[in-house]
Amino acid sequence: MVDIWNVAILDPVLNGLIALSQMLWSNFGLAIIVLTIVVRIVLMPLTFRQTKSTKAMQELQPKMQELQKKYARDQKKLQQEMMRLYKEAGINPLGCMWPMLIQMPIWIALYQSIMQALAATPENLLILSQHLYPWDMVDQAIPLNENFLGLRLSQPDPTMILAILVGLTMWVQQKMVTPPATDPRQQQMSSMTTMMMPLMFAFFTLSFPSGLALYWVVSNIIGIIIQYFVAGGWGYFTFPSFRQPQAQTQPQSATQKAAEQPSKALKEGSDKKKG
Amino acid sequence: MRKVRNLVRIVILLGVLLLVFVSGCMPGMDGGCSGAQAQGWSGFAPYNGLICFGSMEGSVITLSPQARSEGKTFPAEAEWIYAIKTATPGSACGAMCAPSSAASGKGIYATPLVIGDLVLVGTYTGKIYALNANRGVVRWIYPREGFETVGAIVGNIVTDGTALYFGSANGKIYALDAVTGDFIWEFQSSDKIWTAPVLDNGIIYSGNYGGNVYAISAETGREVWSIKIPSAVASSLAVKDQLLYFGTFDRNLYAVDKADGTVKWKYQAGNWFWATPVIRDSTIYAACMDKKIYAIEAAGGKEIWQFEGDGQMVSTPAVTDKNVFVVSEKGTLYKLDITNGTKISSISVGYTVYGNPYAEGDMVYIYARDHKVYAVDTVKNTITWDFSSAIK
Repeated sequence: MVDIWNVAILDPVLNGLIALSQMLWSNFGLAIIVLTIVVRIVLMPLTFRQTKSTKAMQELQPKMQELQKKYARDQKKLQQEMMRLYKEAGINPLGCMWPMLIQMPIWIALYQSIMQALAATPENLLILSQHLYPWDMVDQAIPLNENFLGLRLSQPDPTMILAILVGLTMWVQQKMVTPPATDPRQQQMSSMTTMMMPLMFAFFTLSFPSGLALYWVVSNIIGIIIQYFVAGGWGYFTFPSFRQPQAQTQPQSATQKAAEQPSKALKEGSDKKKG
Repeated sequence: MRKVRNLVRIVILLGVLLLVFVSGCMPGMDGGCSGAQAQGWSGFAPYNGLICFGSMEGSVITLSPQARSEGKTFPAEAEWIYAIKTATPGSACGAMCAPSSAASGKGIYATPLVIGDLVLVGTYTGKIYALNANRGVVRWIYPREGFETVGAIVGNIVTDGTALYFGSANGKIYALDAVTGDFIWEFQSSDKIWTAPVLDNGIIYSGNYGGNVYAISAETGREVWSIKIPSAVASSLAVKDQLLYFGTFDRNLYAVDKADGTVKWKYQAGNWFWATPVIRDSTIYAACMDKKIYAIEAAGGKEIWQFEGDGQMVSTPAVTDKNVFVVSEKGTLYKLDITNGTKISSISVGYTVYGNPYAEGDMVYIYARDHKVYAVDTVKNTITWDFSSAIK
């Protein structure tokens, strides 16, 4: 199993990363950035589908909540109605998960490649030798130069700047896609989940090689950019404002818009029935 | 809905798998995703019927093969152990302490060097320790201050009797007084040095990971010449007559003229020549990470024979009058006929081996990754005793 993983996924990504580093003036930091971008571009169609699917699911949330209220005592009916709602909206509830599943092995391989390519100890260098292709470009790149922008990519960043960047970019990305819940209990849980993941990864960054943290930051930034353009803006993320809110003149927020949609849809539905 | 539930289960399972991968603990993966720790792989230095080595626990240990074969309690007779103290910089530890961190590890890679009654050891924590060979007590340490270091030392120390020379991961080659440990000179190279220099007629030759080979005056530390090759220098250098020999990461064994660094010949194999080439008479015995050991004509680079083992050949072979002893990374010791490379016998210690074997008489000593020293009787082809370095 490990051999199949190494031959089919890890070794191609690892050798690609090392060859890229040689092409980019022996700069492994640049190679990590470029490879992260390349991989995300290759996976762009999947990311688009996932983002659109997630967006569509989010737009259905108010309707779902209404259904949940309506059929609170009849679970069977609730499930039937939910499936009907998905069908009418042309959404496959599994659709937003498959792209994520397909991407996972690639992210894992990228992570492993970064860890193995840097070969911080003599033992690691010996292990690395078992994964290298007999390419001149790869031979000439080893051992990799681990210095990038004042960082030692094989060591954790002692300044905590990367940890903050990892946490911040991940938090922004999560805020963009997490709709504010109407129920206070759900709201509390949702905000805890949104905070926990970035905090966890920021904590990991303190002990993981900074090459990996660099990959996380770049990957998050690309995720934010994709989300911005596909979802058409900052989504549910709102910039902190120090001014007093002016309810009369402010444009409608995404949440308000989303909250109004189900009533409209339901109204249209009942009009059709009447008609 | 059942479909959704199943998918959620799959996602949770994959999430757990991701965490396992990220934490570097996938079973069967080499060294884990976060890589192998720096444990070291010291070889053995013989003196007065004893063998001395640096342990994976960061100790210097002298063993009496006689006492071990008799099953005596350690330490017996002339045996001793010196545990190098390590501490996190900032803590109170004293002048004998070496700085430690999770990344640096405590293991010792360099084989100790014995000069007179001194045992000298370079450590991965970046210090040179000079110990009394009879009792294992510290004579001096360089650098003198507790947490001051010269960078990780992986290659062996060499000496001309009056001075010590060694390379460091900070890219420098140092010369120290062999008796007092006083600083004489340092030479800054272009990149990390994880290999040992070689000394010949007052000139130090050393390679680095920048693909440079330097010839430096042993007296002054000034560069005599340097060359740049396409790939990093993987092995320590060996010298014989007019030529220097070393392996590189472009899978070649190079022979260059020691007078000016002109490349005379190179021999390409299937992987890196990590082990130091051993020269005996007019033949080079070069262990390679393509699982083979090659016997090559020193003058012209023509292959004489090759032998393939069951794993990568990382350690430097031990060569005697009649035999070549080489250990594969899988822990199999091969006894080969020096003339044609035919296998005479083989025995496995059952654990990974990176350190150099040492041959004395019929015995070969191996330090394996299970932290044990194995004494192999190569005539009876049996392990006569073993010793665990993981002692308190």
